[in-house]
Amino acid sequence: MKVFIIGAGQVGSTVVEALHADHDITVLDMEPARLSALAYKYDVATFEGDGTSRRDLSQAGIANADLVIACTSRDEANLVAGMFGRREAPHAKTIVRTSELEYVELWREGQLDVDFVVCPELETAHAISRAIGVPAARQTDVFAEGQVQIVEFDVEEGAPKSVVGVPLRDADLPRDSKVMAIIHGDELTLPGGDSVIEPGSRIVVIGSPRAAKEWGALLAPGGASVQDVVIFGAGRVGTAIARVLSGQGISIRMIEASRERARAAAEQFPKVRVYNAVGFDPDFLERERIGLAQAAIFAMRDDTKNLYGASLAKVHGVPFTIAVAHEAVSIAAFDQAGIDVAVNPRAVTAEEIVRFAHDPRTQQVAMLEGNRYEVLDVTTRETSRYIGTKFRDMPVHGALIGAIVRNGSAIFPHGDDVLQAGDRVIVFTEASNAPWVIEAL
Amino acid sequence: MRATSEVVLPPPRIGPRRRIAVDLAAATHLLGALTAFLGLAALVPSAVALWYGEPVWPFLLAGGITSGCGLALARATAGAGARVGAREGFLVVAATWLLAACFGAVPYLLAGGEQFADPVDALFEGMSGFTTTGATVVTDFEALPRSLAIWRQLTQWLGGLGIIVLALAVLPRLRVGGRQLFEAELPGPEVDQLGIRIRQAVQRFWVLYVGLTVAEASILATLGWTGVDEKMTPFKAVAHALTTVSTGGFSTEARSIGAFAPATQWVVVVFMVLAGTNLALLYYAFVRGRLRPLLRDEETRLYVALLGLASAVLLVELLTSEIEGSDAPLRNGVFQAVAIMTGTGYATVDFAAWPTLALMTLVLCMFVGGSAGSTTGSVKVVRHLVLGRVLRRELTQTLRPEVVMPIRLSGAVVDEKTLRAIVAFILLYLGLFVVGAGVIAVDASLQGPALLPIDAISAAAATLGNVGPAAGPAGPMDSYEPFSDLSTLVMVALMWLGRLEVLPIVVLFTRSYWRP
Repeated sequence: MKVFIIGAGQVGSTVVEALHADHDITVLDMEPARLSALAYKYDVATFEGDGTSRRDLSQAGIANADLVIACTSRDEANLVAGMFGRREAPHAKTIVRTSELEYVELWREGQLDVDFVVCPELETAHAISRAIGVPAARQTDVFAEGQVQIVEFDVEEGAPKSVVGVPLRDADLPRDSKVMAIIHGDELTLPGGDSVIEPGSRIVVIGSPRAAKEWGALLAPGGASVQDVVIFGAGRVGTAIARVLSGQGISIRMIEASRERARAAAEQFPKVRVYNAVGFDPDFLERERIGLAQAAIFAMRDDTKNLYGASLAKVHGVPFTIAVAHEAVSIAAFDQAGIDVAVNPRAVTAEEIVRFAHDPRTQQVAMLEGNRYEVLDVTTRETSRYIGTKFRDMPVHGALIGAIVRNGSAIFPHGDDVLQAGDRVIVFTEASNAPWVIEAL
Repeated sequence: MRATSEVVLPPPRIGPRRRIAVDLAAATHLLGALTAFLGLAALVPSAVALWYGEPVWPFLLAGGITSGCGLALARATAGAGARVGAREGFLVVAATWLLAACFGAVPYLLAGGEQFADPVDALFEGMSGFTTTGATVVTDFEALPRSLAIWRQLTQWLGGLGIIVLALAVLPRLRVGGRQLFEAELPGPEVDQLGIRIRQAVQRFWVLYVGLTVAEASILATLGWTGVDEKMTPFKAVAHALTTVSTGGFSTEARSIGAFAPATQWVVVVFMVLAGTNLALLYYAFVRGRLRPLLRDEETRLYVALLGLASAVLLVELLTSEIEGSDAPLRNGVFQAVAIMTGTGYATVDFAAWPTLALMTLVLCMFVGGSAGSTTGSVKVVRHLVLGRVLRRELTQTLRPEVVMPIRLSGAVVDEKTLRAIVAFILLYLGLFVVGAGVIAVDASLQGPALLPIDAISAAAATLGNVGPAAGPAGPMDSYEPFSDLSTLVMVALMWLGRLEVLPIVVLFTRSYWRP
């Protein structure tokens, strides 16, 4: 497939990283330095030019593209580029990145003539909302219209003996769920019946949303559902989070250092209590009993502030901290510091974009562990050689089927179930195996 | 370097030093035009006088003097052009209302006989009329000619919605920006933008205003015609409709609405409540059939709740003690609460003789008023609502200084500038009330009449709030006639300040208003 990407910033680079192996990519940007950095790393065509110039776009060959992705940091440029993309390459799918929730709403109402609008702030907010739904989880993702949830957990010392330290076939696992991967250090195992979950490892679980919550309760006892949240930072990301969470009836407090932004947030959300304060003032944190909140979300613009704020919140007794990591490298640092969940807006955005680039049969893709693993949602063909095979007899080739969606409802298959043509299969696999897995199904 | 050809530049024309920043000529021009227009109002009582065979000349003369003065002023400043800005607007509004009161006083002097021998009393009646206060110096209502009686009622009806607003609606020739005059005259703080042109808004208000007046007059006349209320003649129906819808309170009867049947009193209650409601919301409800904005409005809800609360307190007092009005406690309680809170000032009983709890309830009601954008006077419910929320915010921020709390009104955020203006208004209002009550009390102790402190307090509150009757000698069945000339003039000033909501007049007394 020919992919045309406008904007070689962080979202653009992440998309290139995910797609470069299997697709024919052209990247257009105004900054030669960014383009050469990309060109040294991956085999992609680069073109220096302006995404809002129709001449530059056609010279770069946008007319041949099958997929046009406009992901510069400027909304207006993306909209204009998307518009030209529609004209020049009428058969291509167009994806536009925006920071303005209004454009997302317009697109949903069918007022914007593009195939997909992705908003990093909103994707971040959704990712955080999913993490709050299962407080013990490091990362979560939903598939099949929310019927299937994939959750990544850290298994701590002292996890219940019914699950940890016994072979999986004897373990008492929550119904409608399946362990898809056990990660110990750098080593990943696709578990069989005799695999054992050890304390200190990380596991990936697939299951119904209810099972995901049960897993959360199992691995982090006492982690009741989060009802009381403090958000640090009322910028675009912070307000998007507040909007998504307040829609779920969660009580929210917001802390913002800028007077204007605090005022704007207070005006926008009548039910949110907004403080105009620096979130690092111990007197303030003590006086407002910030430590009593069930969860703290750090959505400031600066990763160092998010890191420090989250550590401070831990000191003050907040049990569950979530931080936005604007730089991909910050995730590891956050992890080191003991922050429970880190969300990279560009990564979640790229993930949304990448699912468009895959085979048309592939509906959704999640990336785990920094793009090393992918979760695919593939519809099986009539001609697949695995049709009619019992799951017990499926070969283990670096891929594992976690769930199937048959006639619109999710099934978590047992050994005796049989794969049928037309089933939507949710598969966990290493990123390098993804094309092979799609081919085989 | 000099230019080769000798160009002779004219000497610079600097002119004399400008000492004031207000364009007096332009303001006077507009004032003259408005006054000339106002003089036409005298045609109505002239027609009534012709119909009933009473002398016409007092009204023709009063109208002639007023229009003549207005035309003369306008002619004298004809070259001024229409440079009426925000500054001149305040002056025009304040001066127009003062002149209107003088104009209103002339027919009383010419046709009022003994009762209006004192020009100060006539001025009081004139100001009380246009400001829709309803306080009167009349002691013998039988002696008033019908034409003069209808003049009293008409001044209130004209003043209710605003004489300048009326002029702007009918005289497109007065091409003034409009908004500043409109805001200065229409009661209540400008909380939300109307979103329509001023002329359009004014026309809507007048349609509704005339509609309500016609409706009430028809209902009252029907009550009289069908024999439900034998004392209600068509003349009285019109006269009372004019002063109910404007929340004025002048009556043709010595016993006010107490002279009429209970059915009439209930009809008047309904129209007083409507007149105290935001006219824009009423317009949507009645003309467009959209009730939702009215029902969802927080001010309207509080307004109704306060009316209910005041009625309940009066009802309890009327039920538990043997006082005037105890024969029909529900009707008298509700009527008096509504009449005083909306600033109408009608009465069915002589509440001046009521005991302290009931009387204090009424005095407190004088400080409430109706909704913003209605014809009522006083502080208005929306300001109380906003002030309450500002105080609640202050209390919260004492404990939690970092909390950001925008003040909302029916969901919409009120900006901080409006909040400051509201707090400033209430402080000025209370300050004027205290000064007014003090002067009246001291003056009464020196020159009479004998007043209790509550009498002076209620007289100041009733005139500043454009309510009308007060306690003591100024009660609903008595009159303001006993007060000395000084006290009467103070109350004239209070009525004037109260109707224009204090700020447009007080600002004229600041240095920065006049200085460039």
